[in-house]
Amino acid sequence: MKFSKIALSGLLIIAAITFQNCSSDDDNNNNNTPSPAMKGDMEIKFDHRWGPSQAPFALDNTHTHPATGEEITFTTLRYYISNVRLHKSDGSTHAEEESYHIVDASATFPKVHVKDIPAGDYTGVSFLIGVDSLRNVSGAQTGALDPAENMFWSWSTGYIFIKAEGSSPAAMNETFTYHLGGFSGENSALREVYSSFGDADMRIAPDALPSAHFMVNAARFWHGGISLGEMSMVHMPGANASLLATNFSGGFILDHIHN
Amino acid sequence: MYFRTQGPLRWLIAAAVFPLLIGCRSDDAHEEPPKSFEGFSAPAHFPAPVYGFENNPVTEAGFELGKKLFYDKRLSADGTVSCGTCHAQVHGFADHNIPLSFGIEERRGMRNTPGLANLAWTPAFMWDGGINHIEVIPIAPLTDSTEMGHDLAALISFLQTQTEYPKDFETAFGSSEIDTRNLLLALTQFQSCLISAGSKYDQWLTGRTNLTPAENEGREIFESKCASCHSGVLLTDFSYRNNGLDSIFTDEGRMRITLNPEDAGTFRVPSLRNVALTSPYMHDGRFRNLMQVLDHYDSGVKQSATLDPSLSGGIPLEDHEKERLIDFLRTLSDYDFISNHRFSEP
Repeated sequence: MKFSKIALSGLLIIAAITFQNCSSDDDNNNNNTPSPAMKGDMEIKFDHRWGPSQAPFALDNTHTHPATGEEITFTTLRYYISNVRLHKSDGSTHAEEESYHIVDASATFPKVHVKDIPAGDYTGVSFLIGVDSLRNVSGAQTGALDPAENMFWSWSTGYIFIKAEGSSPAAMNETFTYHLGGFSGENSALREVYSSFGDADMRIAPDALPSAHFMVNAARFWHGGISLGEMSMVHMPGANASLLATNFSGGFILDHIHN
Repeated sequence: MYFRTQGPLRWLIAAAVFPLLIGCRSDDAHEEPPKSFEGFSAPAHFPAPVYGFENNPVTEAGFELGKKLFYDKRLSADGTVSCGTCHAQVHGFADHNIPLSFGIEERRGMRNTPGLANLAWTPAFMWDGGINHIEVIPIAPLTDSTEMGHDLAALISFLQTQTEYPKDFETAFGSSEIDTRNLLLALTQFQSCLISAGSKYDQWLTGRTNLTPAENEGREIFESKCASCHSGVLLTDFSYRNNGLDSIFTDEGRMRITLNPEDAGTFRVPSLRNVALTSPYMHDGRFRNLMQVLDHYDSGVKQSATLDPSLSGGIPLEDHEKERLIDFLRTLSDYDFISNHRFSEP
């Protein structure tokens, strides 16, 4: 009984994949649609903001939390964006190969550059905040996953998905350290963001560089009544890391796209 | 290719036989013809290794580079400690009979340095199993402030500025651009080849020698009283157990990794290969010799909520049984392994 259920769901998955593959090939050429044999790039821009009013945010600046009233100064805000996918109206998706990026709020224009996307019109984008479980258990990695990026726990193997550090008079020892990760089980801190582009499709084409512009609310860590006073040090996987990751991922809002 | 030969004559010989040396190694100890490079080869009486090697086949250049790195003190922040400082071949790649090892600036580590052997068969590493893959083991000692205390990015830049290392990496991996991944892969090639399968016990297992009556008696006691945890040819079941060292835990063991209270005070069952060479014993090195270990199992097991059920009554042992067990445990010492020039400091 159990086995047949598993087998059945396996078949359904295979069928679904097959369908997806078929449908992604299906391109109803009108003159305006670029051929998917051509490739283009796009960018996802991350505009770090403070609070629901989307006030300006910057490292080393002191911000007052809109809900808790605590004064907070970030020195570090870095996180992984991985497994970027572009979605089409027919349900098919394009997954970026070797899709691992670090977004660092200290960059002038924090963004992720996605290359070699089959040309065409796309209706949405999705990505993980964090690193999928497979790459957490597969040994030495390179590129954005190089442990020299200091987003890796040496003593309890796994990537730090989100690193937020700074100071606050409200925090214990007046500093806060959030090293959030955990790739398996109930305390997984891996979060997916999916955003539809709404009415306007994103057109991927050679010689074009469209972008999706996300607002990222850095105040979201302390969403839902969590204060720095009670949570100032989270440096390993666990319930707190999972909660903070959920909060932070809720602060990713697609603002607009540029074609 | 990295030669350990010395003097102009050796270089002449090396140059003369260079075409033959592809896939071989030169041997500096004697005037022997060059032996072909052994690479990784699993002993016939071992199970299949858990490390797959598909993405990191062991080559002579990679192995020799890994060995050079393993023994290079400059991999530590202040240039005083190499991997081999605390992982001494003569002690089965454990430390020199000290409970806790000293890293840079004589900082003391947290737990007893384990021996290194048969890592390609080991599913998780360290006393708490916190490291899940052989390739990423070195990151912990390289960066831990009580061990080698280095920053990976600084270490990579340092290696890049040396005259030899970029060439060594080029030979081993086809690129003189050094990155963490290739550093780790080279160390993995060396460490995965640290295979201990040549003890008297192995020779007995493969029908090449007999145990003495005393050793054989010890083996029978071992099989009935110890082998449920120290099982199989690797002499561990790789489980995590609380073996009754304490009632109150100063080191929470595997719970540090899992946060699960059921894992409090549990540690990985260590392999007993080379056990007579790797004193002291336990995660904190509290027992100086094997007799103290056996006395613990006989009469020292302390009760606690997570004590392994198989040890709730200890393991009662007569004094003569302890003697025979130690006779047997000594057959697990692999003298070929600890004297094999292939693994020695260049």
